[in-house]
Amino acid sequence: MKIGVYVCHCGINIAANVDVKAVAEYAKTLPNVVVAKDYVFMCSDPGQDLIKEDVEELGLDRVVVASCSPRMHEPTFRKAVQTKGMNAFLFEQANIREHCSWVHEDRESGTEKAKALVSAAVAKAALLKPLEVMEADVEPSALVVGGGIAGIHAAIDSANAGYKTYLLERDPSLGGHVAEMCKIFPNMDRAACLLIPKMTEVATHPNISVLTYSELIDVGGFIGNFDLKIKKKPRYVDPEKCTACGECAKVCPVKTDDGKAAIDMPYPFAVPRTYTINPELCLRFQEGEGDCSKCKDACPEGAVDFEQTEEEQELKIGAIVVATGYDEFDASLKPELRYDLYDNVITGVEFEKKLLEAEKTGKIEINGKEPKDVIFVQCVGSRDKNVGNEYCSRVCCMYTAKQATMVKDLIPDSNVTVCYIDVRAYGRGYEQFYENAQKKGVRYWRGNPAEVYKDDGKLVVRAENTLLGDPKEISADLVVLATGMTSKSDARELGNLLKVPQSGDRFFLEAHPKLGPVNTASDGVYIAGTCQGPKDIADTLAQASGAVMKALIPLCQGKVFIEPITSVVDEEICSGCHMCEKICVYDAPTFDEEKGVMTINSIVCKGCGSCGATCPSGAISMNHFRDQQLFAQINMLSS
Amino acid sequence: MDKKTGVYICHCGLGGSTETEEILKKLPKGSIVKDSQYLCDITEQELLIKDINEKDLEQVVVACFASDVHRSIFKKVGDEVGFLPNLIKIEESDDVVEKIIAALDDLKPIKPEETEVDVNPSVLVIGAGIVGEQASLDIGDAGYKVYLVERRPNIGGHMAQLDKTFPTLDCASCIGTPKMVATGQHPNIELLTCSEVIEVSGHAGEFKVKVLRHPRYVDENECTGCGICVDNCPAVVASEFNLGVGPRKAIYIPFAQAIPLAAIRDPEHCLSCRMCEYVCDKKAIRFDQEEEIIEFEVGSILVTTGFELFNCDLRPELGYDKYDRVINALELERLCAPTGPTAGEILIHGKPPKNIVFVQCVGSRDKNVGNEYCSRVCCMYATKQCNLVREKVPDAKFTICYTDIRAFGKGHEEFYNRMQDEGVIYLRGIVSEVYRGENGMMKVRVENTLMVEPVELEADLVVLSAGLVAPADTPQLANMLNLDVGDDKFLAEAHVNIRPMETRVKGIYMAGCAQGPKDISDSVAQTSGAAAKATIPISFGKVKIGPEDEVKVVKETTATAAPIEKEVTG
Repeated sequence: MKIGVYVCHCGINIAANVDVKAVAEYAKTLPNVVVAKDYVFMCSDPGQDLIKEDVEELGLDRVVVASCSPRMHEPTFRKAVQTKGMNAFLFEQANIREHCSWVHEDRESGTEKAKALVSAAVAKAALLKPLEVMEADVEPSALVVGGGIAGIHAAIDSANAGYKTYLLERDPSLGGHVAEMCKIFPNMDRAACLLIPKMTEVATHPNISVLTYSELIDVGGFIGNFDLKIKKKPRYVDPEKCTACGECAKVCPVKTDDGKAAIDMPYPFAVPRTYTINPELCLRFQEGEGDCSKCKDACPEGAVDFEQTEEEQELKIGAIVVATGYDEFDASLKPELRYDLYDNVITGVEFEKKLLEAEKTGKIEINGKEPKDVIFVQCVGSRDKNVGNEYCSRVCCMYTAKQATMVKDLIPDSNVTVCYIDVRAYGRGYEQFYENAQKKGVRYWRGNPAEVYKDDGKLVVRAENTLLGDPKEISADLVVLATGMTSKSDARELGNLLKVPQSGDRFFLEAHPKLGPVNTASDGVYIAGTCQGPKDIADTLAQASGAVMKALIPLCQGKVFIEPITSVVDEEICSGCHMCEKICVYDAPTFDEEKGVMTINSIVCKGCGSCGATCPSGAISMNHFRDQQLFAQINMLSS
Repeated sequence: MDKKTGVYICHCGLGGSTETEEILKKLPKGSIVKDSQYLCDITEQELLIKDINEKDLEQVVVACFASDVHRSIFKKVGDEVGFLPNLIKIEESDDVVEKIIAALDDLKPIKPEETEVDVNPSVLVIGAGIVGEQASLDIGDAGYKVYLVERRPNIGGHMAQLDKTFPTLDCASCIGTPKMVATGQHPNIELLTCSEVIEVSGHAGEFKVKVLRHPRYVDENECTGCGICVDNCPAVVASEFNLGVGPRKAIYIPFAQAIPLAAIRDPEHCLSCRMCEYVCDKKAIRFDQEEEIIEFEVGSILVTTGFELFNCDLRPELGYDKYDRVINALELERLCAPTGPTAGEILIHGKPPKNIVFVQCVGSRDKNVGNEYCSRVCCMYATKQCNLVREKVPDAKFTICYTDIRAFGKGHEEFYNRMQDEGVIYLRGIVSEVYRGENGMMKVRVENTLMVEPVELEADLVVLSAGLVAPADTPQLANMLNLDVGDDKFLAEAHVNIRPMETRVKGIYMAGCAQGPKDISDSVAQTSGAAAKATIPISFGKVKIGPEDEVKVVKETTATAAPIEKEVTG
């Protein structure tokens, strides 16, 4: 056996607190070690060349690099040894940066610990066994979860690349939040103009299947070969027959505050173009309300079907793009702003609908009157640790600037004030847009309101003007709260299904902010848009296409490679007790009836080790982390 | 006007009807004028096609909002009926009837002249910073050939010059080096350094590309990067990579982890002593190397040419060119970096700085220098640099003079709050002047707008948070590729919201700071998006192109810079 040891300086990251030369010298004294060297950056090309040359010239059969965490560079070094014909799994990495130089201030003890870690790695390396990477074919299809603007664009991209794409949406129609917007900053395009053509494209695309009113309920398999179960909720209307004539809604006895019937279509441009019965509103589904069937009687096509039931569908998918979007912050969590109490304190989203209405009628009306004094309050539910949202929502400054501008356009003699902390007009054309709002007479007031109350029938906003150092009370007919974005209330459940963790702000966690902003901890599952964190439409769509790119990699390649670091069962010892089956979250262990023992599906196994720890008879061990390999490592550390 | 005409007015869901009679009067018999709510909607598209076929319309006028985003949807109508509608853009304030009548006079039926062509399964990526690298890796991983053209002798761009990155404080080398190595080693990526694209013709699916490769005077394949030539070279000049803070030789390797790892000779400063040639064991030095033209064809083009740092001399009141205690942020980055000229030791006049003032928005949000836009990264990089300097000078004091703190990215606000908790002072006010006090220290004059009082801060180091500007030769590049440039001088996207990676030319995409300032996370996400756009036609295998998609060759040469960096501000 010939082991080569390479000690990295990592610039001064390691070299400052570890005597790397001494570590290399020490390594030379370890059993089986035939060469030990140090270099400033082992991950750089010349660093890797050092290893490659030695493998070739000295005939090394094991390589140990003492550097950083294997998380980043294990693949780099594995690839390097592989180019010289060595099995990639005969490489071992000792982490003398995170585990050593970064945590030791004293160079002497840092060096001692580095030596110990290197000796342990060498001991393990001697016992490593070659392993082969497994290969699997890829199902040439993609699933996009979420039918908002991000999901719509992702689905079109994936379908245009030639792959069958399923677009899954929980609500009755595609469209998401943008469908309820009026205009989009900074170009002031109509939201409908940006959205509807794309919805039409989705609806007519030969490669896209739209699955609305449906949810993901089970995820199995792995990258390239996901097995999914989808639940389709009953619409109680046959979309094949429904012509969206609207006769049903006309006769429906239920009308909500915003004018919706129990059988309705969310927007006139809904995709699919069909009505849906909301069982929470429909009298027929309420106990003791009788069996109203007015809609069914009115429907000329016979499309209403009260007997419809939930359906389940199974899909085989190669890659998944998650674009589930955001929830709006609940303004009632800021009671001092009196959102619950006064009907002329409304949220930005509600005001957006008012503006859409105002575009048709030409005037804004609040309680039947045109507001003259309008105050916008920024950062409601954003940059606010009290409500648990420390982050900035990225869009509120600009959507407020847009709404304020529109108010000035519609009511030129109005007094419009925006109360802010910092104006974050960072995107292309945003600064100009912000300036334009100021030019139109929108007043920017630095200081966030402490309280909104009513005096003599008029709203009063109490806010300190931090520029003048002066607390003020300003009266208003309308207060618009620029509510921020929060993660979807059920992000955790979907995250559990897809094995995608959340970050501290509860949005989905990317694999790495710079190296993998659309990747996740789960191979084959990519994230896009506001489910990863607040962002505007341009940034969302850039990310949506980015997520599709990552999905295209396995789809275009047609093959995926699977790490062989999986658990293995020693059939001699296994008693077939099924304990491993119960603990495994990936459903990798199954019982072999014939042999009476457990077997592991190594393609599904992620090598987490839970089964090995659980097995009462010690029958399961992990490839690359076998007991004797770990014991050898521990022995060296403790000797 | 004798053709049977259909006029459709889209109201975009706002309701209302048009005085159709007025328009009908101007049209021949059999013509129709219709109001529509959402003409881009699937059912109304079907009705439109039905009308054209049933009523034998010979030409169609569509008046709608945002006609520029609707072209593709009406192209599909064109496919069905054999001609394209004339699109008229209307605005809410327009007199629609008048606008349509005025347009009727020069109406022509537009024939769809699209043909379907095969797509060359390769991509040209122009610019090899982190954005160009990531796009190349994505496309290469998907199995397609990439030509990655970089003007400088090495890849890595600005990110290679950084010490750590916000908000996670990941070491830039630790995350940048693996990307560079992976790019350099990828079997599908052909790296062309010291090279510039000088001519592009053709169309989506098949662009013909000419690249001018400047001589390196070193055989890249033979050179091992051992550095013996560098050690023996007698000519010393300021290092561009270190922004002039440290020296380099006339034959040099820009930095230790450079990819490709090969020396380059700078003929301007070379004394022609040929010492390098004499000492090189591998005989890799090539004094006779000449420019060469490389030609190839690609299916898509991706522009990832990045940014330049704002030239702080353009704000003379800040004293950047006068005082060596005033430096720009990238220079501070090189001082902090362990790979930098001082190996990470921060010394100003031989002493570690104790009072550091950061001046925000230098060259950003400033119409006086022609940059109205925000550079998106300076608030966060200044915040990060306080942390970097504090690691080395624990008792240093920091003041950041700002207008608005724009900590909008994931984890940014949290990082900003943390640095405030750790004692960094954020002073709201724009710095009006920096000058030298009697004791030799800098004086920073600024109004504290929160206390409404003018203050003078003393500093032994003033750091100018310089903004990002478009590379100086962006107009030439845009000209060559037939692209548009925005008011902010960055390349213009096809649509700011819904087509942020596309350009006006089909088949040419862009990402990262070439399209406008953004941080690494946003750039990297966007570049994968642009890579997707470039990969889609290749994966599909066919693309439809019309006569307007042809790139016109611009004759004047665009070779504006030698392979050695010229834009250095220090």
